[in-house]
Amino acid sequence: MITLIINGLKVTVPEGTTILEAARRLDVEIPTLCHHEGLSPQGSCRLCMVEIEQRGRRRLVASCMFPVAEGLVVETETETVAGARRFVLGLLRDRCPRSEEIAALAARYGAKPFGRLPLGERDLCIHCDRCVRACEEEATGCIAFSFRGWARRVEGPFGEAPADCIGCGACAQVCPTGFIAVEEEGGMRKIWGKSFELLRCSACGKPFATREELVFQGLDEGDLLCDRCRKREFAASFTRGVR
Amino acid sequence: MDRDALGAILEVYDREERFLLPILQDIQERFRHLPREALTETARYLAVPESRVFAVATFYKAFSFTPKGRKPIKVCMGTACHLRGASTLLEELERELDLSVGKTTSDGQFSLETVNCLGACALAPVFTVEDRVYGKAEGRLAEILERERKS
Ligand code: FES
Ligand code: FES
Repeated sequence: MITLIINGLKVTVPEGTTILEAARRLDVEIPTLCHHEGLSPQGSCRLCMVEIEQRGRRRLVASCMFPVAEGLVVETETETVAGARRFVLGLLRDRCPRSEEIAALAARYGAKPFGRLPLGERDLCIHCDRCVRACEEEATGCIAFSFRGWARRVEGPFGEAPADCIGCGACAQVCPTGFIAVEEEGGMRKIWGKSFELLRCSACGKPFATREELVFQGLDEGDLLCDRCRKREFAASFTRGVR
Repeated sequence: MDRDALGAILEVYDREERFLLPILQDIQERFRHLPREALTETARYLAVPESRVFAVATFYKAFSFTPKGRKPIKVCMGTACHLRGASTLLEELERELDLSVGKTTSDGQFSLETVNCLGACALAPVFTVEDRVYGKAEGRLAEILERERKS
């Protein structure tokens, strides 16, 4: 176990924990964008910067990537930290002027757009890579970032509807800005230019998953339970006979 | 696409993701571009998602999706060459070849592209044809290209 100090508070966590995880244990809030609990860390948005002191040196590190160390002193709200966050959010305001999520974060940290980036078509994508990691780690890895620089964009191979997409929508679920469009209507789900038929939960009747998803997870069409009903069943299996 | 040629490229490598880049380089060299079929086949061979192969293929400028000429011409736009009139050199080459940057001549012989520093700054402005380096070649362009056309 490793003991460190965050904003003057002592916390003891297992080795390999990140500063961000340790801070959350103390209910110290650190804003994040590219980080997602269910996905491997990426450290690309630089919003979660915090100041650390180690061997007498102070510096900024990305808390979502930085592993805790014995005796580490962390400050999450210094002027340097606020400056770093304002800078990142200012750039993101330029990149995604239409994103409400970014606008809200920017307002909270008093960040203004720099207005120096070339204008042009701006979408909601902040290039955090969450969708790509979700697809890679939870599904088929059918989308990725192609091209580079200004042209860099997330898409299926050859810029087409991804053949391997199973319509699970994990990418859209983890997208922090709502860039990835998913439409559900009349028992169909539309995503990445493809249409999927939704199967119904056998308990509550709600359309909830695609056939391709079930096949991918190796599940049977026999016991089709949506997340909520599955949890309910699971809980019931514990209380059964006790009540 | 010559499937045997592709097979010969692939079989040299173990089926490990780290060989993706060298495989793509070999394909580019053999076919002078990355044919779509070859990318799909590479993804299958390495058991890597096609999206990843496409991502890598579009990231590097050294790869192209349309065939480059048998003799690719690279004009340096690096700092030293820029100062010594690289843009004039490029314009002259475009005129001599009747070709714009990024394109290939209809006979498939030459293609024209720009790069940033060829590492021969003392010869600025520099361009290369295949791997032959031509420096300070103002006024000799027509002659150089004539020789290249015939060899
Ligand atoms: S959340 Fe840490 S760098 Fe994005
Ligand atoms: S700048 Fe052209 S060779 Fe270096």
